Amino acid sequence: MSRSPIILAIDTSCDETSAAVTCGTKVLSNIVWSQANIHASFGGVVPSTARREHEIAINGIITRALGIAKIKEYQIDTIGITVGPGLAIALGVGIDTAKALSEKLKVPLIAINHLEGHILSPLAIPTGKTRVKNLPENIFPAYGLVISGGNTVFTQINKIGSYKILAETRDDALGEALDKGARLLGLGYPGGAILEKFAVHGNKQKYELPIPLSGQESSRFFSYSGLKTAFLKLVENEKAGEGGLTKEKVYDLAASYQNTAFNHLLRIIDYIIRNDYKKPLPYLLVGGGVSANLEIRDRLRHMCKVKRITPLFPFHPKFNGDNAGMIGVAAYFKFLKNEFTDPKKIDRLPNLKLGKNK
Amino acid sequence: MKIIKTKDASVDEIVTVLKKGGLVIYPTETVYGVGVDATNSDAIKKLNLYKKRPFGKPYSIAVSDEKMAKRYVFINETAKNLYKNFLPGPMTVISKGKGRVAKGVESEDGTLGIRIPNYVLVVDIVKKLGSPITATSANASYKKRPYKITDILDNISANQKKLLDLIIDAGTLPPREPSTVVDTTSEDNIVLRQGDIKLKSRNQVRTFSPEATQNIAKELWQKYEKHHKNRAIVFALKGKMGTGKTVFTKGLAKALGIKDIVTSPTYNLEQDYGNGKLHHIDVWRLRSVAELRDLEIDKYIRQKSVIAIEWADKITDAVRPMHEDAVVLWVEILYGIKNEERIIYWGIEKG
Repeated sequence: MSRSPIILAIDTSCDETSAAVTCGTKVLSNIVWSQANIHASFGGVVPSTARREHEIAINGIITRALGIAKIKEYQIDTIGITVGPGLAIALGVGIDTAKALSEKLKVPLIAINHLEGHILSPLAIPTGKTRVKNLPENIFPAYGLVISGGNTVFTQINKIGSYKILAETRDDALGEALDKGARLLGLGYPGGAILEKFAVHGNKQKYELPIPLSGQESSRFFSYSGLKTAFLKLVENEKAGEGGLTKEKVYDLAASYQNTAFNHLLRIIDYIIRNDYKKPLPYLLVGGGVSANLEIRDRLRHMCKVKRITPLFPFHPKFNGDNAGMIGVAAYFKFLKNEFTDPKKIDRLPNLKLGKNK
Repeated sequence: MKIIKTKDASVDEIVTVLKKGGLVIYPTETVYGVGVDATNSDAIKKLNLYKKRPFGKPYSIAVSDEKMAKRYVFINETAKNLYKNFLPGPMTVISKGKGRVAKGVESEDGTLGIRIPNYVLVVDIVKKLGSPITATSANASYKKRPYKITDILDNISANQKKLLDLIIDAGTLPPREPSTVVDTTSEDNIVLRQGDIKLKSRNQVRTFSPEATQNIAKELWQKYEKHHKNRAIVFALKGKMGTGKTVFTKGLAKALGIKDIVTSPTYNLEQDYGNGKLHHIDVWRLRSVAELRDLEIDKYIRQKSVIAIEWADKITDAVRPMHEDAVVLWVEILYGIKNEERIIYWGIEKG
């Protein structure tokens, strides 16, 4: 095949129903249908509602993805499908759909690890471009960082498909910590994005919170549960204090909390790069919902500048959160290596990991 | 290492071993203990190696009576009452120490746990030796409770075995709880471990570090382990954000011998560890009890699995009927006064 394969990618790992059409690393369409609004009225995910919503939405989303990409079903070469990690019953909806389509169209399936999708999301390119700007053919080994609601993991990408975990969370994920912090401030749930907006107006030095695992960076873990507890106590104190929880206080609390959470992330990454590498690897690929946060982007960029690392973020905000476009990109690399999956053996893997532990 | 039966045990022989700094496994009215001369610092170092404990974790000591206890600790009014009502018996009373034991036996704060076993052989040994012996369970940290000698020997390494000098085998001991541990050094009695003796109507302990909370999870597991594989065991966890429900589950996983890292399942709603040995569920993001079946808890219960459910109080109506097929243990964790202090209550769901 001289041209790149046309891939239909599907992701239903948690709250989003998503389908995309990709050609190589080029993303022709990437439709994300979020259940966030439906769930907001419940204040949380209701699993069977999640399944029902995925079931209702998925065929329409696929049709739309094909329509926007101007691709007919018969042109599809292969289907990339997320098998984990994620919410088991939600994953099941995508997998069943992909299996049925693969049978109908007589095309092979490629099982994709959702985390690998996030890590490779900076390699996605829009239509009209041919490659990520100034990027050589091979950028590996490189660093990979996924910061999202369900995961916080820093890895060394040896090559695509081979990952060494350098650090991962031992309790809460960064995105979860930010969401829960927002909840403690009465900003709703999940409110990490709202927390960011409030933090912009606040003084991040106003409140001193303990940086997790300070002095224990060599443990090579991320940890947010202690910070969350300290923040809860601080918020309760401020509520009980003079004037209660004023808007100014909420701004400052949001800023201080977010700042401490990010300090911790950067300290661990910095420690590992300083101690485990004579010379830093040339690239850092960043994905996951929290990478949409402008503050963390700035700070990662700054760290990278000092260390002469080139940071790579997805070209569009849509690629930060859960989306099928990144799954299509990951599937393309598997396609090149003929890593297809037997439809009979494909199964949801809710606890899937990215690679070997350190 | 020498093994002798209780009926053949001579107090002189045992005391000779202890005087040389030896490690002796001995029966008590609760579990098998491991004893060394608590005033011999080399023997304590050897015990640390055996227990695989970091230095700084204290040991309780066994004495023959209250009079002997007074040589080692200051006994206040509260402690005096406990001695009168419960000792000798399965209770460890913590008091302010006098610094007369080897380094590493008293806690970093200078407190010391005293045990007067209701077991004649042990009291005779201590009397003859003239100094207290350590009263710690004979298993290594996070291993099975020792009710018989094989419980110990099957779960330790060859290197640990080499450290043992003498084993006094009294056969299989009745499966009683380890001693209740009460700290009398603060204003009110603080129960640090709940055994058969209860000071309060509810099961209640306090912890002062995440490690101690993990340790409580381990002890609760050991209390109910006997049901494992016959019935599912559900740990229904209740407590505000940040009290340590995930920390508790970490301890549970450790007690189950699971090596996976236990993380918060809030986002994915459920996680499995040790190839399905432990199902860790978080229903915080759930709103409706009826939808719970999608998480397949019923299946895990049929498979007689071990299940930890965070925020179980949000789905009380779904948890309640589980007791028909499972042992349902409610665990509530509350914030204490000090920063890392937690009060932990537990009880079994009954029909």
